[in-house]
Amino acid sequence: MNLEWRWAALKNGFQDATVYRLEFLFEVLGSALVPALIQWVLWYALFKVGGATQIAGLGYSEMLQYTLASLLFTQIRGGNHDFDLAEMIRTGQLSNYLLRPVGVVEFIFIRGIAPKLFLAAVCLSFGAIASLWLNSSPLRMAGAMALALLGNIIHYQLSASLAALAFYWEEAYSILMVKNLVVSLLSGELIPLSLFPSHYQWIWKSTPFYLFVFGPIQFALGQWSFNEFLGQIGIASLWLLVGWALVRASWGLGIRRYLSLGG
Amino acid sequence: MIKGEGLRGAFQLLLRPTYQTHTALKNVSFTIESGSFVGLIGANGAGKTTLLKILSGLIPPSSGEARVLNFEPFRRPLEFRQKISLVMGQKAQLWWDLPASDAFELLRAIYEIPLKLYQERLHTLTELLDVKKHLNTQIRRLSLGERMKMELIGALLHWPNVIFLDEPTIGLDVFAAHKLREFLQVFNQREKATIILTSHNMDDIERLCPRILILRSGELIYDGPPGSLTRQGERRLRVRLMQNPGIEELGAVSGVAHKNISLAEKDTAHGDAMGAIHFDLKQEQIVPVLQNLMTRFQVVDMGIEEQSLENVIQRLYEGIP
Repeated sequence: MNLEWRWAALKNGFQDATVYRLEFLFEVLGSALVPALIQWVLWYALFKVGGATQIAGLGYSEMLQYTLASLLFTQIRGGNHDFDLAEMIRTGQLSNYLLRPVGVVEFIFIRGIAPKLFLAAVCLSFGAIASLWLNSSPLRMAGAMALALLGNIIHYQLSASLAALAFYWEEAYSILMVKNLVVSLLSGELIPLSLFPSHYQWIWKSTPFYLFVFGPIQFALGQWSFNEFLGQIGIASLWLLVGWALVRASWGLGIRRYLSLGG
Repeated sequence: MIKGEGLRGAFQLLLRPTYQTHTALKNVSFTIESGSFVGLIGANGAGKTTLLKILSGLIPPSSGEARVLNFEPFRRPLEFRQKISLVMGQKAQLWWDLPASDAFELLRAIYEIPLKLYQERLHTLTELLDVKKHLNTQIRRLSLGERMKMELIGALLHWPNVIFLDEPTIGLDVFAAHKLREFLQVFNQREKATIILTSHNMDDIERLCPRILILRSGELIYDGPPGSLTRQGERRLRVRLMQNPGIEELGAVSGVAHKNISLAEKDTAHGDAMGAIHFDLKQEQIVPVLQNLMTRFQVVDMGIEEQSLENVIQRLYEGIP
């Protein structure tokens, strides 16, 4: 395995993502703070204005803790490289990568995850400090971040498989948008998944999306035991295998239909 | 996808889209010796880029077989990808927001080029193309010519055995195009790399390619040196006569078919009251035609013009024999 090009791609991806530093900063802060503010307004309305004391067993401070923890993990859950892949297929830009002696799906992933790894390190530092302050174990935060990173890989695998629809339909933008909305809801990025009615819990449990945000938060906040966490790592590994098979199949079939349009 | 006209056409497209299959290449067969420089030319839509895409392994042929360096291109084995390069003049391969040096560093790692060798090659290529000073400038801030040179360097850093160049001089000014041509010639001769070049610029083709392949509507209609194409072609006899005969009379006297006679516009403003008459002829027809003309008319002025490669090829594109 050639680690050199992977390291170089990581470096290159990071440089590319952060070349406009202010833009990068606003993107990170905006995507973290806006959903958190919406959640805070919602909890405030329900608990402080509406007078609720508990919702699905969670009080106001627990909801706020969830919101603050979600700030750390929503940053990691995935980028836009699935849209990039679909666009590259549509415009023929994929040709640039197909002729290089590297796997195109992996190459795009590595370049895309570079800024996420940086953010993971920053968020982990904040999380570890917060853990110490709250008398919790920083190890939990590290484990939660590892699960979030596994979630990022699963997310990319599923997204890359969906992006391969562009080989057939030329345009896969809307399906990727719908996927993003579903992921936002079922990952626990917008609301804790425990708010789902008990007879609908199976919905989020049968997808891997909860491993992206909700799962890491549960472990970081001590809601999952270490054994439960290991079980979830096992589930994530199975999803990784499914994702790998999906990417292999969808790209193996799709690439035969590639037209390399655009000159 | 085919679209009908008006609102009805738009609804038809939405409800019952119809598709049309276009055969891009038909029975194209050729072999290229290692180390050659071959020009691939044809009008827009003739199938040049499709052929390059098949040869580089981007798309498979729907029938028949392509082999490059003994590999089946579409299988794209790692070793094959390490030995080829494709440069498309209209497609940027480097990363827009990063300087070329960063992109080259990544390419060095991808192709596993030893550092010292990479530095030597980078030095050679940037010297030859005169872009050393721009290595640390963002690609998006470079001029088109400088960008194209960087693209070329990125495509050559791994010293490919086969290079496919799809209109590399598109949009370049005369000087930049000249520099690029000079560079390609040196690279081909020095490194014995096989280069297949498509271009609409006949200057590129004439100066670089000892062999050309001409495609017309997906068919290979010529395979040989450009020189013999012009030798096989015609000369143009230009005469001015005291008299003012019509094409019918000129044809009858000269014995030349009407389609090969053309009357230039009279340019009275510049004292050209007679107007030139052009005869498209084979070399050996020139003297007899002149003799015939002189039996009836008084020849004031005459000249023989060489057919340019561009003219000959234009006629080939149009299917004029």
